[in-house]
Amino acid sequence: MMRNPYLPLPMKLVKNFTETDDKLVHTFTLEYLNAADEAGFKYSPGQFAELCVFGKGEAPFGIASSPTEPGHLKFSVAKVGVVSTALHLMEEGTMVGVRGPLGNSFPLEDFKGKNLVIIGGGFAFTTLRALTAYILNPANRGDFGKLTVIYGARTPGLLLYKDELAEWEKRDDIDLVCTIDRPAEGWNGRVGFVPAVTKEVAPGADNAYAVICGPPVMIKFTMPELEALGFPPERIIMSLENRMKCGIGMCGRCNVGNKYVCKDGPVFTRAELNQLPNEY
Amino acid sequence: MPELAGAIQEAARKLLEEKKVDVVIGFAPGTLPLRSTPCFVHRPEDAAGLTWNRSCENNLANYLRKRTDKVAVVAKGCDSRSIIELIKENQINRENLVIIGVPCAGMIDRKKVDRRLAGKELLAAEESGDSIVLKGDGFTETIPVNELLHDSCLSCRHPNPALYDLLVGELLPEKGGDDFADVAAFEAKAPAERRAILTEEFSRCIRCYACRQACPMCYCEECFVDCSTPQWIGKSSDARDNMLFQAVRVLHSAGRCADCGACERACPMGLSLRNLTRKMVKDVQELFGYEAGANLEDKPALADFKAEDPQPFLIEE
Amino acid sequence: MLINKNELAGFLDQLMSRYQVFAPVKEADYTNFKQISSGTEATLDYSNTKIPPKGILFPQTEKLFSYSCGTEGAQVQECIDQQKKVVFGIRPCDAKSLVLLDNVFNNDKYQDPYYLTRRENTILVGLGCNRPAGTCFCTSLGGGPFDTTGLDALLVDTGDKYVVEILTERGRELFSGTTLPEAGEADRAAAAAVKETATVSCTVNLDGVKAKLDTDFYDPIWDGLHEKCLGCAVCTYTCPTCHCFDIVDDAVDANGCRVRNWDACMFPLFTLHGSGHNPRPTGKERFRQRVMHKFKYFVDNYNVMACVGCGRCIKNCPVNLDIRAILAEIQGSEARLDK
Repeated sequence: MMRNPYLPLPMKLVKNFTETDDKLVHTFTLEYLNAADEAGFKYSPGQFAELCVFGKGEAPFGIASSPTEPGHLKFSVAKVGVVSTALHLMEEGTMVGVRGPLGNSFPLEDFKGKNLVIIGGGFAFTTLRALTAYILNPANRGDFGKLTVIYGARTPGLLLYKDELAEWEKRDDIDLVCTIDRPAEGWNGRVGFVPAVTKEVAPGADNAYAVICGPPVMIKFTMPELEALGFPPERIIMSLENRMKCGIGMCGRCNVGNKYVCKDGPVFTRAELNQLPNEY
Repeated sequence: MPELAGAIQEAARKLLEEKKVDVVIGFAPGTLPLRSTPCFVHRPEDAAGLTWNRSCENNLANYLRKRTDKVAVVAKGCDSRSIIELIKENQINRENLVIIGVPCAGMIDRKKVDRRLAGKELLAAEESGDSIVLKGDGFTETIPVNELLHDSCLSCRHPNPALYDLLVGELLPEKGGDDFADVAAFEAKAPAERRAILTEEFSRCIRCYACRQACPMCYCEECFVDCSTPQWIGKSSDARDNMLFQAVRVLHSAGRCADCGACERACPMGLSLRNLTRKMVKDVQELFGYEAGANLEDKPALADFKAEDPQPFLIEE
Repeated sequence: MLINKNELAGFLDQLMSRYQVFAPVKEADYTNFKQISSGTEATLDYSNTKIPPKGILFPQTEKLFSYSCGTEGAQVQECIDQQKKVVFGIRPCDAKSLVLLDNVFNNDKYQDPYYLTRRENTILVGLGCNRPAGTCFCTSLGGGPFDTTGLDALLVDTGDKYVVEILTERGRELFSGTTLPEAGEADRAAAAAVKETATVSCTVNLDGVKAKLDTDFYDPIWDGLHEKCLGCAVCTYTCPTCHCFDIVDDAVDANGCRVRNWDACMFPLFTLHGSGHNPRPTGKERFRQRVMHKFKYFVDNYNVMACVGCGRCIKNCPVNLDIRAILAEIQGSEARLDK
């Protein structure tokens, strides 16, 4: 009997954490209800899953935890629709369904031995967090070169994973640059938009990959900076979001040209996207 | 009919040549017998592609909402009545619209044709006076037009455009008031019987929303069927939800529906949608004395309050 | 083998003891495939059904699983239909459409157990087309009025009987338990003659269409092609190869079921993001998507066009937006050099 890709795994919401000070992004920590399910849920940074609220429906979210963090999954979810709103209101201890892992992942094999520049904006930092955590894991850190993370948000309170960012700040095997759009009280870090900060930080493109996730306007203006730094389209990695339902390349809505974001993506190189229509 | 087509072409060519409009929306010959198709003419030399005949059944008012260009439109009586309502609802900028009015003697219902042919395939058709000559593999049948017209055309009281800037052809004699005999007959049935008929009918609905899309008055930014917070109606094709969809759609067109029949014509499943819309048209006329699309002056039924409006649903009378 | 027309109903009754039998049934002004409970309900005297028989394998509304949530967790009950079925009297174009849909529901990474289980359990008995309609253009897409792609058996109407051609082991199995007379020399000759005379008069020239679509995504031709399109789902719901669907929950509190429903690329909601952004914001992009999906993307992914030339979209479109005319315009459009 073939595996039914529509059936969710039962998981328990163990933590419903308000991530941002506008309260619009919550981070959910889920634990497997059946310990055996974990072995079947083999994922890699960049992949997503459908979170299912029984009675409301399901919606796709990038996996924010790293496979190097066993025992649980993490998702940071902005409150925009029926399912995300239901998740936000959910009490700890409630059952959640998880369907996945879905989609491709960041090309970790290609990244080996290379320097990495991770650029994120706002609440699109979720799978970038997974990637960063994966690389920083002692078992993996040696596989990769220099790691630069540039992460921007409108205000300090809108940065995700603040405690973790503080930890990363202290480490010497990651060059973390956090920035906010405008000066704010109590913020001693950098101020400026991500494109400008990228230009200032000027990470070298030699032997390096750039991975960028964020709002469209951030992507649009950071792209020329990356090009100016010498990153070829083949070494700029992006993750797309399109409306999805099935997550397995059948329901027909998330395609960009002949590629399904859910099945063939969500991770694409800039070179691949240059060959596709702009329908995302 | 060929004269009318010629006159429409001439009017369109002139409007485009003189740059009075950017586009003329009319009909072109379609790809099937007894089928014309909406056509957008942008260049004067393409005006020769316009036509007029008894298969120009679509309500072109549907293409006029929220346009920013200057448009001319070929309008039958029913199209013009929808245009009037859309002007009242500020969906059409009257100053940017040229209405080429065409008196309409009724449009052919291809479903009736198919019924008459009982499975034989229609390969060609010609209009010949008050008859239509239907031709196919090994048959020729001549049928009086009246037996093939849409029901909406048979009950239509207003063959002439109610609003126009140019008139093509001769005005036709206006008909008397609508007796709504069909609605009365349905009203006379017992509630259980009505319910049974509607349930059977709407169990065949496939929720393709062709009725909604074909209706000039259905233009909500977010249709209630698509709304997710709250979700008003089930998304699945289910006889009860289908009926709810139709009932709300029809209620929403109260006082706005010009009874053009576009919904019923668009329905691939042949549902009798006018059975519902006409009940609404009749009620609005009886309760509020308003007929949608009659003229630009009357205030729309839903936008006008009079102390003497009947409101039995609010107050014990 | 032979089925005398006056014995057809009895034959279908025999099949019903072993299979769920789906056959064309008259309904209002049209014919549709329905599960029959008596052989007399079936009519093989039809041109083509209003709604394609894809719905037998991929229903318009289908429960994927039901669930109930309590304190001890959720109980999930999968609803996979394992019933043995026969689709009797399916037209060759519709049978071919299922072969195309197999690509989607059994793609390079995932299998859809709902469709594939039904597909595995469904025997297709075709009915050749003695008189293809004026809107049929199957031969332009590699099919034909007696094409056997996807079929397990084919019926050829020779007047007062159907000559049965067994095409697969499953077809053999279906007919093996029945008591039908063998076809004689004369019957086989009559069937051959019928096949010879059936002609599809409508052709659509598809030469170069794919190559044009490969390069003309941003071509101004798309500004005009969709202008009269109403944006309804008639073409998609009546299309035998359209497979897009939505997934919704139908539930009271946390008890209910997950359901999938046909959906259509012509609806704005289909691609609307939670943020309000829509990658296909107007009718132009949505119409282009439908054409591109069928005549380019599907070819890129599965090396075949997602159209079988059944003509349903042509016959049912409320504004006579004819795919043949669209393809002709694309085919005849100037090659673009400024891609």
